[in-house]
Amino acid sequence: MQRAARSLEHKALILTLVLGCQALAATFFAIDVAGDIAEAGLGWHLSIELGATLALVGGVVLGAFHVRSLIERGRQDQALIAAARGAMGALIRARFAEWRLTTAEADVAIFAIKGLDVAEIAALRGSAQGTVRAQLTRIYAKAGTASHTGLIALFMDELIDPASTLAEQGEHG
Amino acid sequence: MTIPLTKPLRNWDPVVKLTHWSIVAAVLANGAFTEGGSWPHIWVGYALTGMLALRLLWGLVGPREARFSAFPPSLSRALAHIREIKAGKVHDQSSHNPLGALMVYAIWGTLGMIIASGIAMAGLPPKAVSHDRHAVQQVAPDHGEEREGEENPLGEAHEAAVNLLYVLIVLHLGGVIFETHRSGRGLVLAMLPGRR
Repeated sequence: MQRAARSLEHKALILTLVLGCQALAATFFAIDVAGDIAEAGLGWHLSIELGATLALVGGVVLGAFHVRSLIERGRQDQALIAAARGAMGALIRARFAEWRLTTAEADVAIFAIKGLDVAEIAALRGSAQGTVRAQLTRIYAKAGTASHTGLIALFMDELIDPASTLAEQGEHG
Repeated sequence: MTIPLTKPLRNWDPVVKLTHWSIVAAVLANGAFTEGGSWPHIWVGYALTGMLALRLLWGLVGPREARFSAFPPSLSRALAHIREIKAGKVHDQSSHNPLGALMVYAIWGTLGMIIASGIAMAGLPPKAVSHDRHAVQQVAPDHGEEREGEENPLGEAHEAAVNLLYVLIVLHLGGVIFETHRSGRGLVLAMLPGRR
């Protein structure tokens, strides 16, 4: 469930650990260089060390920005999915009411829309496969479709607007 | 049919969690295990410095609730919050509540004092930790039993700040317990790793 958001979160976590190590390294180097300079003055060698340390600090700052963007993308993903879920739930309820599905049929229909097959639905509901098959037939008849794919397509068709979806993707790509 | 979305009201990001628990570990290590003035004590102190620096950087570039702007140190807001507590109002906070914010800045300030006095005492690393423990003991002789006898103002400042930190930690824990009890929300859970 919500695999994309999860993987973003996972990435953010790993990058955070890397960022933590970088911050530690930057601190140690900064303190070390400061000590060296305090002792020996800013020489040729120490200037380079100082530059390297500043670069490391810069890397930490950029890394922090990157982690922030990952975290925000993950949250946006979750918000979008939550919104889509709400809308999908409303649409499913509306259609089921319109088709006058019984409670048992509605249950079976939900599982079918989620992509489960007859055997899986029967196992989940603890009923015989024959019963589920009969229920599915009635659901298809009420929905005016002929197949499992057809049932799913009824919802997908209403949710997806190819023009806007592809246009958006063009902008991103 | 619809599964209720149980969403935690507060959701600390991984950087906040990492810095929080690293600082907890460093304070525990230096408070309970390492010997004051010894090189592990000093290096743990530097590690704490790095984590604090990262948290402060995060206060500028992190997500909204982790930024300083989300929890400005404000006495008037803290007083308003106390009035809310008295009135029994529970108010959603995505960041630290105003009292918690004061606590955060107090702890950071105290850590800053501890770090500054610590570095001032130990000196910067080439002197303090020049690969033999001898140097450490020369620079930081005030460890061991006779610490009390020696009048070292820096050492005293360090110790005073550490004691202040312990007081703040106890208050912080008290605050967390109180707020969890009051609001019934998983305040503690929001800071645990792996929680969302």
